[in-house]
Amino acid sequence: MSTLLDVQQLCKSYRKQSGLFRYRTVQALDNISFSLQQGKTLAVVGETGSGKSTLAKLLVGIEKPDQGRILLDNTEVQLGHYRQYNHQVRFIFQDAAKSLNPQQKIGQMLDDVLRFSTAMDVTARKQKIQQTLKQLGLLDEHSEYYPHMFSGGQLQRVALARALILDPKLLILDEALTALDPSLRAQIVNLLLELQQNTGLAYLLITNHLRLVKHIADDLLVLHQGKALDYGETAYVFEHAEHDYSRKLINSAIA
Amino acid sequence: MLLLDIKNLTIELNTADGLVRAVDRVNLSLREGETRGLVGESGSGKSLVAKAIVGVLNKRWQISADRFNWRGQDMLSLPYEQQRKIIGRDIAMIYQEPSRSLDPTAHILEQLEEAIPDHLLDGPWWKRGYLRRRKAIGLLHKVGIRDHQSVLQSYPFQLSEGVCQKIMIAMAIAKNPKLLIADEPTTALESTTQAQLFRLLASFNQLKGMSVLLISHELESIARYTQSLSVLYCGQLVEAGETAAILKQPYHPYTHALIKSVPEFQPNLQPKTPLYALPGSIPVLQHLPIGCRLGPRCPNARKECVKTPTLERLQNHFYSCHFPLTGAKEP
Repeated sequence: MSTLLDVQQLCKSYRKQSGLFRYRTVQALDNISFSLQQGKTLAVVGETGSGKSTLAKLLVGIEKPDQGRILLDNTEVQLGHYRQYNHQVRFIFQDAAKSLNPQQKIGQMLDDVLRFSTAMDVTARKQKIQQTLKQLGLLDEHSEYYPHMFSGGQLQRVALARALILDPKLLILDEALTALDPSLRAQIVNLLLELQQNTGLAYLLITNHLRLVKHIADDLLVLHQGKALDYGETAYVFEHAEHDYSRKLINSAIA
Repeated sequence: MLLLDIKNLTIELNTADGLVRAVDRVNLSLREGETRGLVGESGSGKSLVAKAIVGVLNKRWQISADRFNWRGQDMLSLPYEQQRKIIGRDIAMIYQEPSRSLDPTAHILEQLEEAIPDHLLDGPWWKRGYLRRRKAIGLLHKVGIRDHQSVLQSYPFQLSEGVCQKIMIAMAIAKNPKLLIADEPTTALESTTQAQLFRLLASFNQLKGMSVLLISHELESIARYTQSLSVLYCGQLVEAGETAAILKQPYHPYTHALIKSVPEFQPNLQPKTPLYALPGSIPVLQHLPIGCRLGPRCPNARKECVKTPTLERLQNHFYSCHFPLTGAKEP
């Protein structure tokens, strides 16, 4: 099993204006290191303001890190170069209904992704769209649908389709499972697990939902105010959390 | 005595395509001092039931019930003014998103003081202002906010979601209600704050004998803090009874699926194995299946399921299914 993503000593701080001329620096991420194997799932947990979302932003290249290195397949990368790396790292937002364009048909939306990011011709694109929809349990005719015609669970599948159509190696899920209803969530979790087994996809799961983390994550990283508190195998961290904060977090979910 | 006793509550909406029955003959009863959970997925009508109890539903919704008693008094037959009076005195409700239900243009102090009724302030009228302020501070302490000075002078947007929710609770308990309805109080909160809030509600329940109706779509968080449980699916009551009994032996396939889909209730489940899930998704209100609304998704649906099952009773456990999961029906 090869290491897909290796993050070393990542730091990020923001400058916030606190007076007319004064600035305050907020350390959003402080010396974060972790690695993610192919076909594994890493869960990042922490409260709001712990730097979870900043980490996600750095990993998709929306923000640049102040310090530290991000290694993808053992080569150092600048994730801001979308043309090169958006094939490899894809992102799913919290609310599928809000992150899809309501004026665009699903097929059109998926076609755009391929048109901008690959060199496929029309027939190859069409074939790829069909294949992806089928992979996610959707039908061919769904490509003629608008987002409002789908139910919540199907929309999440569409969002997944948009992410997976470029055959990424890493998928970042930012609270994508939290807002779903329990029975739909079980369906999506099953789909994600199945995809991981079939294609060796790696997930970075950013969430608050510790019970789910326990079930689907291989590794767990606990963030608190930008610092990494506990990092290790999920089962181990759940048993022997070192820091008080992580213990509190885990107990609140399990007790 | 039964605090709240509702039988066959039906809530309908008149639309262009005809009458849509959003809540279909739901029974709900609450004893004094009981905590009951109301579980259902989005669109199952659980918020509608809560709003019907508090009487804040829009005029377009038609509410009818065979019995709608509040402490032995039939509410639906009372004139509107009197209904409001009783509800305003006895029932309090906290809503889903606290920062959206608080007034963004007023200080917390003003809003909290407004929620304290006059008859709870015992003192001469010239001391009212002082007493009211004292009471507001006391309420904040009760819900676990120690730093009352700065919170009282803040606007809602300056406070975190958890603190806002605590203030909502403080406002709700200001009038010592008999029943507190909490409509998804923890969806916007983090897991540590969630546990805190549930403990808070549980302590009010135990100390003051206040009944709590806890509404949520997360079965696992609710199960820990409630004595009894009602499960809704698509506006139909599928199962009701004591929480422990339902968790141990659900009779309805939907409850069964709900319990099995949560990894927490499956201690023997290996990590990374698929979870149990019902196929398909919740039908929309315009296209509801006839009969048992779970029918198309139910793993053991048969021909009889096109007829709406009646609510069966087995001791204190109610379920509405033609083919309950534990073997045969009692003869």
